[in-house]
Amino acid sequence: MNDYIDALGLVFQGYVLLAIAGGTLLGLIMGALPGLTAAMAIALLLPLTFGMPPVMGVGMLLGTLCGAIAGGSVSATLLNIPGTPSSVATTLDAFPMARSGQAGRALGIAIVASFLGGIFSAVVLSVLAPPIAEFALRFGAPEYFALSVFGLVIIASVSKNLAKGLAAGLIGLLLATVGSDPMLGSPRFTYGNMSLLTGINLLPALIGLFAVSQVLADVVDYFKTEKADASNTPIDKASPRWIEVLKHWKVVLSSSVIGTIVGAIPGAGGSIASFLSYDQAKKMSKTPEKFGKGHSEGIIASESSNNSLVGGSLIPMLTLGVPGEAATAVLMGGLMIQGIRPGPTLFTEQGAIIYGIFIAFFVANIFMMLFQWFGIRLFIKILQIPRKLLMAMILVFCVIGVYAVDSNIFNVYLMLAFGVLGFFLNKYGFGTAPVILGLILGPIAESNLRRALMVSGGDWTVFVTRPISLSFLVVALLFLAFSLWQNAKHKTSFA
Amino acid sequence: MKKIMTTLSVATAALTLSTLAVADYPTKNIEFIVPWNAGGGADNVVRALQNPVEKALGTNLVVRNISGGGGAVGFSTAVGAKTDGYVVTIPTNATFTLEGLGNVGFTYTDFEYIARVLVEPYVLAASSQKGWESLEEMLNDLQENDRPLMVGASGVGSSTHIMAVALAEELGVRFEVVPYDSGANAVTAAMGGHIDAVVLNPSEVVSGIDSGRLTAIVTTGDERSGALPDAPTMLEQGYDFSVSQWRGVAAPKGISQEVEDRWVEAIQAAVEDPEFQRAAEMMGSDIMPLYGDELDEFVENTARLMIEEAAKLAQ
Repeated sequence: MNDYIDALGLVFQGYVLLAIAGGTLLGLIMGALPGLTAAMAIALLLPLTFGMPPVMGVGMLLGTLCGAIAGGSVSATLLNIPGTPSSVATTLDAFPMARSGQAGRALGIAIVASFLGGIFSAVVLSVLAPPIAEFALRFGAPEYFALSVFGLVIIASVSKNLAKGLAAGLIGLLLATVGSDPMLGSPRFTYGNMSLLTGINLLPALIGLFAVSQVLADVVDYFKTEKADASNTPIDKASPRWIEVLKHWKVVLSSSVIGTIVGAIPGAGGSIASFLSYDQAKKMSKTPEKFGKGHSEGIIASESSNNSLVGGSLIPMLTLGVPGEAATAVLMGGLMIQGIRPGPTLFTEQGAIIYGIFIAFFVANIFMMLFQWFGIRLFIKILQIPRKLLMAMILVFCVIGVYAVDSNIFNVYLMLAFGVLGFFLNKYGFGTAPVILGLILGPIAESNLRRALMVSGGDWTVFVTRPISLSFLVVALLFLAFSLWQNAKHKTSFA
Repeated sequence: MKKIMTTLSVATAALTLSTLAVADYPTKNIEFIVPWNAGGGADNVVRALQNPVEKALGTNLVVRNISGGGGAVGFSTAVGAKTDGYVVTIPTNATFTLEGLGNVGFTYTDFEYIARVLVEPYVLAASSQKGWESLEEMLNDLQENDRPLMVGASGVGSSTHIMAVALAEELGVRFEVVPYDSGANAVTAAMGGHIDAVVLNPSEVVSGIDSGRLTAIVTTGDERSGALPDAPTMLEQGYDFSVSQWRGVAAPKGISQEVEDRWVEAIQAAVEDPEFQRAAEMMGSDIMPLYGDELDEFVENTARLMIEEAAKLAQ
């Protein structure tokens, strides 16, 4: 208890709050720009934090992380361009809603859902971190494989047309085989290109499939209609939609639980959490046919999930000392340079600091919500920029962002190629979200399948004799059957 | 005529500038290429070095993460850079293993090694569920049950993977090396008891050992690791085996002696910096600087071993 009081004292100081606010704001901006990731924003701020007291420095980085994830939804909503992989599922419903003249409503829903998801995960982090970390340790290779199979089943749910969606998912899975063989190291489909040795980088693929393809589509649109300028789309009132979101509290709750748990399992491919939540929201919904056409439940599911992912991903990092993905890895580097070694001893020996980190995470979520609350009217002005100017600007940002990731020009070409691919996939109704799912889950599924068989000595029964693995596979089968039934019932598929 | 004059004066100016550049190195920002993503072990080291080195050199270090190919892209970029001393990189054992695996166009002799800064041994840490307290217990158990040790490493062809293979050879037992996507994922698997052990660097297993989920069996350094003072070395256990992961500063071959001297001074100052020392301790690394001929000898020995083992793996 004393630790908590000390911790409050560490956080509620002018400079500390200012640092958290600054980090959050920077994260929001970087997250909203396509190509600039949370990991990069944190790496950028890292040297600044060296001279700060631990809670102040870490608080600032936590703010950046929260802000970046939330910022990603702004561009996803307004422009159909997910700022981070976690916001891909947001585009499915937020963009159609924005296009229909309700951009303010879409953003308002996203802000509230993000905030609630973030706060949920902050509560779980502060109260349940050690037992959840314990649960995460029960995931071995068979469980990761089963989880990724479960994730792949979602393709059926995010496709407008089942056959075409599955085809797009297969393209993603095929592309995921490029790069060094995960177990043997022999290069596959790299054609002597060093940049491909570690496989196709997810970010250029994401930006290409979503942002560049959108730019191409708009260019075509512009020449077809000659005047096409979306800047005169009517814009509704932009404000947070508390009541609308709270009405769907069940979606918020289940999505937040999914986000927190997927986040807490290191290496599960965090960005699939928002897809998983989207999928379950659609299955539980009374109006599943509205999903993908601008339905509020879809936005709520994706947004509350991707923000609860942040708190979840802090759990293994703080309690076990293992970062789950890039952004928490950079954050952990920051902690160590601050003289804080993540792991169980952190809780026993440096109680005030760990509670300070929890409180700073709450504060960061509150700042995130406030900034978006006040910023929403500003964000929405983006839509008043003439479309042709906006698209040119977006393309510039994409190139800068993708180049900035690893200063490798090859990734820019890769992005452009994915842009062309995405353009045609959209044009012929295949969709791009399944490709991303395939790309994210392909390597996880493949390497863990082989790892599991390596450890079991080639015994395939490991997938069905371990309870967690078996349940994922069974649920995946049930979900697949349910998706087929739901699709058939609403006659939206099987062209 | 006017044109020629301009060209001439520009040329003279350029000439003066370049002579000045050597005398007053550095006159502009220095690019520090990290061949991996932000947040990795090497990246943390460079960011911890950044402040003290900037102070000592009186210029900014611009950290560029050029990732891809497990370091291949970044190192190749560094090798191909101008030799004016404004591009440096962070050599590690990966510089050698990449060559051994045959995936890159450079050799380890294409770099001018300026300093070794940090050293961390490799550690064989077993899942505590196995109940082994020492190397002897582990070896006996493996021999009695005639089964291989399932060992996680941080990636196929990584230096930890190669070290696991080399350790198995030295110990005379069978290791089944399971490559993971990252050290963190391998540690998680070992903590959960899904594999028997990991071969990694101390910084990656310290949390697991603190929590009692992992047991450090043996380390591979000349001396005991500062982060794991209780774990014996291979030398102590009677094996003639000593290899460590290391991190330092290197530039493309051909930099001037002045540039090298300035950097050596800067690193000498940096390793005395208390903030850097604290960061190194937290990262589980030992500050063991080495320069000049001693460094060259160290590089020569380590490179030979790592390249040889990596080449075996590639076959």
